[in-house]
Amino acid sequence: MLKDIITPKKCLFVPNAHTELRGQLSRSRGVTIMSGNLTGNSRQDVSGVSARVYKNGIYGFSSMAEYSSEAADAVLRAATENADFLDAHVAKGKPALPDVKSGCRTLSEDIPDAEQKRYVEFARSIDDYVAKKYTNLASRTVAAREDSMEKLLCVSNGFDAHTCLQRAYIYVIMNAETASGVPVELFKAFGGEGGFEANFKDPEALYPEIDALYERLMQKREGIYADAGEKTVILGGMMTGMLAHEAVGHTVEADLVLGGSVAGPNLGKQVASELVSLTDFAHTAFGEKAPLPVHVDDEGVEAVDARIIENGILVGYMNNRESARHFGMTPCGNARAWAFSDEPLIRMRNTAVLPGKDKLEDMIASVEDGYYLIDSSNGQADTTGEFMFGVSMGYEIKNGKLGRALLDTTISGVAFNMLKTVDMVSDEVVWSSSGFCGKKQPMPVGMGGPALRCKVMIGGR
Amino acid sequence: MEKYRIIAQRILDRLSSRGADMAHCSVRESEMREFNVDGNEFSLFRTLFNRHVGITVFMGGRKGSVSINRFDDESIDEAIENCIAAAESATPDTAWELASGNGERHFSRGALVPDTEKLFIRTKELVDDIKSRHPKIIIEQMIVKHVSSKGVYMSTTGNCYFSESGKYVAELMYSAHDGDKLTSFFGSDVTVSDLDKPFIDCAFIERELQDIENQLDSAPTNGKFQGTVIFTPACLVSTVFGNICGNFVSDSGLLEGTSLWKDKLNQKVADERISVSFKPSDKRIVNGELYTGEGFLSEDYDLIKNGVLQSFMLSKYVANKTGNKPAKNSSFAMIIESGDTPLEEMIKSIDKGLIIGRFSGGSPGANGEFSGVAKNGFMIENGKITHALSETMISGNLADMLNSVVSISKETLVDGTVVAPYMAFDGITVSGK
Repeated sequence: MLKDIITPKKCLFVPNAHTELRGQLSRSRGVTIMSGNLTGNSRQDVSGVSARVYKNGIYGFSSMAEYSSEAADAVLRAATENADFLDAHVAKGKPALPDVKSGCRTLSEDIPDAEQKRYVEFARSIDDYVAKKYTNLASRTVAAREDSMEKLLCVSNGFDAHTCLQRAYIYVIMNAETASGVPVELFKAFGGEGGFEANFKDPEALYPEIDALYERLMQKREGIYADAGEKTVILGGMMTGMLAHEAVGHTVEADLVLGGSVAGPNLGKQVASELVSLTDFAHTAFGEKAPLPVHVDDEGVEAVDARIIENGILVGYMNNRESARHFGMTPCGNARAWAFSDEPLIRMRNTAVLPGKDKLEDMIASVEDGYYLIDSSNGQADTTGEFMFGVSMGYEIKNGKLGRALLDTTISGVAFNMLKTVDMVSDEVVWSSSGFCGKKQPMPVGMGGPALRCKVMIGGR
Repeated sequence: MEKYRIIAQRILDRLSSRGADMAHCSVRESEMREFNVDGNEFSLFRTLFNRHVGITVFMGGRKGSVSINRFDDESIDEAIENCIAAAESATPDTAWELASGNGERHFSRGALVPDTEKLFIRTKELVDDIKSRHPKIIIEQMIVKHVSSKGVYMSTTGNCYFSESGKYVAELMYSAHDGDKLTSFFGSDVTVSDLDKPFIDCAFIERELQDIENQLDSAPTNGKFQGTVIFTPACLVSTVFGNICGNFVSDSGLLEGTSLWKDKLNQKVADERISVSFKPSDKRIVNGELYTGEGFLSEDYDLIKNGVLQSFMLSKYVANKTGNKPAKNSSFAMIIESGDTPLEEMIKSIDKGLIIGRFSGGSPGANGEFSGVAKNGFMIENGKITHALSETMISGNLADMLNSVVSISKETLVDGTVVAPYMAFDGITVSGK
């Protein structure tokens, strides 16, 4: 764990400016086995210290790849000089940031670090299982990953905090071919918050879900192309999570609102069906720990939930301290930095559509001619809310019953239009947290939601 | 440079004494000065001072890699032990290979020392130019920076490369707004080795800003048709050739055997007007790659020459695994040969089609089939651009497209990282509402 060399530097913070001083150790461990070949076997440890100084409406920032008292002194000086440089050149003349709740959060537990051979052995066990049992695959990839961010933060005003976000995953990717030679692929991530050892004790525990993945791949291999056009669909929880993050979440990040996103003119307006509510959870969701909990952000703001859509009305944005002042909102702890050398940006944490009252089976039974779309391979969205998601697994629905599996397809639409078509919401939330959100810096995020019945454009072949 | 040599030599000596078959390491320091503009206003000036030590060891054919960002002996000793432990946990593979016997080389390129004051002036000038010439544009984020690095790559196989380099980079994300109307976002970027020209005059920045302003009054396409689609140079590189490289000629496609072109070396795979090469030494590429991750000195090579596949983009490892030759560099310094048709003539020759500046879709499958949303696009009818597009999807097959080329432009994008023309393809499926 990082030794606290940060807090004693508080006496060096310059007056009449807001200062953040952060020490950070980021670790990543990775193993990749591609069709039996160990192509990746690496460990990375990156540490350093950074300072950011807010003065008259601009920030100065500096970082050094050294976690020492001298480096902390140096980045404080440099960040102050950078703020002075930009202030002298652009003279925005904005007032100081409003104060936020002060406090201190400590970290007591050790941060576990598994030996590299554990990643190799576990991934090799999974790969051997898949290779021996499923000989008709065209190719397979098994990867083991862990990443962690330990941070020591000290601020002029707000929460000082020692935090760590650690997560570990096993990724299994299977490829096969249809009778006509069309490649089909399915992927599943296992794991979540915490260290590798805590998440993965026994490879056999994953076998049932790997078997299920293979079964779905075989169904997909016999799958059909979806009919193109606007269709009634049931979006599974994973798809809803993607929608919540990509198509809504990014448009309500306040920096993108200031950059002209569609959420700007829609605050306080109906942007979705009354059945739809959406929240960016900080650390607890529905009475349980959120997938990737954030307790204090990198501006020293104690993290609380950010309410975005309530009963279809857009009620708020995700903010940092500066944008919250601009919009007259309360910052909820959305300012997060990836590496020690990164400045905090407005980022999501655990973004989800809230559950409704419908049962998934009733929702499927209610569709005469449509699709049940379960998994997304990727997603992209615009600041206009226009989105495109790849659908990697789904089924046709005919007369209320699931039919044949689908080959890869895409769905597209405009979020604030499409969400108005939601007329059923299931009572169960599905989360995912294995990916990175990309926005200048990568960031681990959680996303989730219930199944939604709605209308959406499906791409067909 | 001497301090880098001492650290690198110590790492390799230590690994050799611990029984390494071979090993290589990189010891570097980098600096960055960066201005950020958000929502049309300056927001941040940051200076970063970073270090990197990358170590890879091979022991009994087992490979382990570690990277850290500290130079002190204790951290490096720990990294060496972790690297050995990683290798010991790996499975043996005889395909690993490093370049050998290239001796000591010294490289120095680009703007090594930043002119921070001038960088600020050029950044402010770009903000002001956009405000005055393109008042409907809102800059979502602009990042303008100078990055430099220096250090050494050293291997136990007789390679020692000292290098230092510096460059300026401008990256913009923006959209256009007029009352309640707004466009999709778009990104422009350029990499340069000096600050002689205003940024707005570099690459296609001015042209792309104008295109986005022209997107404000958009409408969907009606129905579904097969037509000709012109890809802008940036879209051509990212959507067409970027995915072709990833799916058909890269390590994973050949190692997994999923590449459609795995048996197509020296065969025709594209229209004979298509020639694509990777040339890190080309003068239009700023600070191109000097050596590959396996220590081979980078040389220019042709990927496709007059429609014939000349090479795969393979690492030495995958080349050894698959019985192919490795690529002569591992960069993406892509140069697509231009044609002889002015863009205006290309548009005039199209009865019904599109010109698109960005594609929003999933990665194409191994068979090259793609489908997604055409972004920042315009409808072409009877040889004229008729309107900007919204909610329009395109689909096709990458391999088939290369044999359905209609025309290639004279105009060429040179942004410091790639060189590419506009290219028109026939037979693309366009579907609207």
